[in-house]
Amino acid sequence: MPAIFPRHLEGFMKPQPLVRELTRLVGPDAVLWRPEDVMLYEYDGLSVTAPPEAVVLPSTTEHVVRILKLAARERVPIVPRGAGTGLSGGATAAEGGIVIGFARMKRIIEIDIENLRARVQPGVVNMDLTLAVSDQGCYFAPDPSSQKACTIGGNVAENAGGPHTLANGVTTNHILGLEMVLPDGEVIHTGARFWDRPGYDLTGFVVGSEGTLGIVTEITVRLSRQPEAVKTLLAIFDDILDAPRTVAAITARRITPAALEMMDGFTLRAVEEAFHAGFPMDSAAVLLIEVEGLREAVEDDAEQIEAICQENHARDVRRAKSAEERDLLWRGRKNAFGALGRISPNYYVQDGVIPRTRLPEMLAFIEQVGQKYQMRVGNIFHAGDGNLHPLLMFDARDKEQTVRVTKAAGEIMAKCVEMGGSLTGEHGVGLEKRDLMPLIFSPDDLEMMQKLKAVFNPRGTLNPAKLLPTTKMCGEIRVQVSTGGVL
Amino acid sequence: MSTAVEVMRRELAVIVGTSRVVSDPIACAALSVDGKSPQCIVYPASAEEVAATLRRAAELGLGVIPCRNGTKLGVGNPPRRYDAALSLKDMNRVWHYEPDDLTVTAEPGMKFGDFQHFVGRHGLWLPLDPPGGARASLGGIVATNATGPLRLRYGAPRDMVLGMKIATVEGKVVKAGGRVVKNVAGYDIAKLLIGSHGTLGVIVETSFKLFPLPAERATFVMTAGTLGIARDLRRRILHSPLTPLRMVLLDARAAGLTVAGTPLERPVKEPEIWLEVAGSPRVMERCHRELADFAKAAGTPLRRLASEDAETVWARIADLQSWLPRRSSGVVILRALLPDAASEELLSRAEQEAENEKALLAGFAQLGVGVLHFCLLADAATPAVLGLIRRLRGAAESLRGVLIIERCHWDIKDRVDAWGSPGDDFAVMKKIKETWDPKGTLSPGRFPGGL
Repeated sequence: MPAIFPRHLEGFMKPQPLVRELTRLVGPDAVLWRPEDVMLYEYDGLSVTAPPEAVVLPSTTEHVVRILKLAARERVPIVPRGAGTGLSGGATAAEGGIVIGFARMKRIIEIDIENLRARVQPGVVNMDLTLAVSDQGCYFAPDPSSQKACTIGGNVAENAGGPHTLANGVTTNHILGLEMVLPDGEVIHTGARFWDRPGYDLTGFVVGSEGTLGIVTEITVRLSRQPEAVKTLLAIFDDILDAPRTVAAITARRITPAALEMMDGFTLRAVEEAFHAGFPMDSAAVLLIEVEGLREAVEDDAEQIEAICQENHARDVRRAKSAEERDLLWRGRKNAFGALGRISPNYYVQDGVIPRTRLPEMLAFIEQVGQKYQMRVGNIFHAGDGNLHPLLMFDARDKEQTVRVTKAAGEIMAKCVEMGGSLTGEHGVGLEKRDLMPLIFSPDDLEMMQKLKAVFNPRGTLNPAKLLPTTKMCGEIRVQVSTGGVL
Repeated sequence: MSTAVEVMRRELAVIVGTSRVVSDPIACAALSVDGKSPQCIVYPASAEEVAATLRRAAELGLGVIPCRNGTKLGVGNPPRRYDAALSLKDMNRVWHYEPDDLTVTAEPGMKFGDFQHFVGRHGLWLPLDPPGGARASLGGIVATNATGPLRLRYGAPRDMVLGMKIATVEGKVVKAGGRVVKNVAGYDIAKLLIGSHGTLGVIVETSFKLFPLPAERATFVMTAGTLGIARDLRRRILHSPLTPLRMVLLDARAAGLTVAGTPLERPVKEPEIWLEVAGSPRVMERCHRELADFAKAAGTPLRRLASEDAETVWARIADLQSWLPRRSSGVVILRALLPDAASEELLSRAEQEAENEKALLAGFAQLGVGVLHFCLLADAATPAVLGLIRRLRGAAESLRGVLIIERCHWDIKDRVDAWGSPGDDFAVMKKIKETWDPKGTLSPGRFPGGL
């Protein structure tokens, strides 16, 4: 019997039986087990730390089958991992076990432009697929801010979003079929190259299941055609509440931009200092608005949006004059988390969703919460979707600050729920929010989820301790703020 | 009336009231499925009543089929048991409606036409053109993931459902998803129910994302001459930036049937492409100009239709399941799903097969979507029909697609599976069915593989 690896490993160790067995199955160069090697796999974007016993880097579906059969026999947890950019702890080996890294399964297997389809391995980087088809006028629509690093396997696990999902839909709207390995090593194929294959939509159920139902080894995606024209507008506001009011007005006027993003003044200044993207340093908030489509339609929409911004007291509405200017604005937006990271030792980012009509009210509420708990808050919203990313700034070395940020985050989450919203729009439940699930789901709802999980993963060995609550809720909301601690 | 039926009626009446359990033979016959009529129809008025009805039905070992207007009841294998129809007719309320947020939550019994009218007052719609048209119900549309040609631009119910509540045979009402437009909290259970044809639970409430109604619309028709020309036109149009709302290719017989009896009636001798574009006047002008160029290059004329006439024809194309059977009662309707680029190839092979069998076949292809309907028109002898279905299924499968029987006489369904053979994920599907409905109460035997 392979022994469980001790948690704190000293160097110069001999590989344990589990590692020896894995080495035999997939080759010595595909197994990491020394403490200094597995250390990089101890955490993801949530930065809660838990060391795996081994990291395996399979090259084929057959490798994954062998690993899962071994894990089933030895009852060892399996945790799939793409690039580790996830923000809810989904790729953390919460109960130890084997991390399966997909760095070597990064082949684009097939591109079928006429049918707008591609088949890829899970380790393909999101942006690389878009680059591979851009010459032919196509792209892969889901565009998480981490798209230069994150993998399509990870996007599938988390049902990832991104700024441009407002008009184009999130990951699940672009996935037609999956090859996946069940915990006992059985390989199944869900969906097809076309929509609506007869039977239950297992593909739709597995997308967003955070690696708890099976290990996906191949993905059939839908490609989209690049729009003929794109216009990027930057609306600048002196009163922060005018920005969400404008978002509500654009939605109410029945205009669906391709992207509709908001950043507050605090965030802007951090972004500007880091990237010099051309954001105004002295404004209270900006909206980054993009419209795309037929040249004529884009022109019409841009004019209407400009007028709505002005009605809502925008100080200025600028249009990106070139592709470079547009790229710079988006680079600023997509790296905004990083920019805020430069000015605070820690931040805690939330991912709640509310009805878009309630955005002004919510933003005012977040401001109040920040004042009440004396902390700086940067607001970066996928405003058009009502998906909020308030970033609460704190120093994790200070216990008292950590307590305050936990309370503040809890109040913001409670407000989202009270408004009829959701705990998470795109980052996933993971470790981070599993115990908040009872806020929006009843015991009956959660029991159904548990039963359906058991269909795929009866022993709970696939990505344990994620997505579903481990305890019953008792009144108080306790947000698990990541402080870089050891699980 | 037998005692068992009496017991069932009495037991269900305890839940919904005596007046809401009907066993009038004519009403029951109207909801018959593949030659089987239910013994009674139950009309629950709330989610809780649906749940309680299902629990009692499971305890009594009954077979229950949920329905509303019956526009999609023909789809699927013959039921193993069919004791009661569960009609959602009395559940047609709207619970939440936020026009400025473009979201709505409504009950399943609401008719699609009423729903579109309700949200249309605010310039919104659910951009679907499902079989059954205005008579289809929201619940039926979601339970079958029903779409028409509009899928090209807008997607399917799968892409528009934000969340739902489901009554289970355990007697519970469970929630999936929510009411906001972006949400990844928990498993996406709604995906399992969408397209499950009433075999897992009964959808008692659905939240949808709504869309703005387009400013202006216009329909264009091109005569394609041959399927090869049609293929070139499809490629050019779909590769252009014009992004039509919907586009179909009708073979000559399908086109002739579709316009028959409408103001556009005329003899049709060649395949036709119909497409609809939308947008501002500037956009429409551009579309018209470029479509005219495509048509010219293909050597075919382009006609722009008056919008009212076009609307009639689109409704007929989307809902051929309603009017075709009225023309000839023995009509068989087949639906092929396959990678879109093979659409013309399948149409051409089907034509060939029909010619060999001397059968009258009409082919309707939803372009850019990969959905084709084949309608076998005249009453043919069962062996000939069976042979044709098998050969068309073979053709669809060789083009990496599938073929589903949407409508035919039940004695044919006894000999050929309506859905085709399941794949290597069937064992998981079976466990999912057993998880929701362990005794096989809901639409038993109707889904692929006899689920």
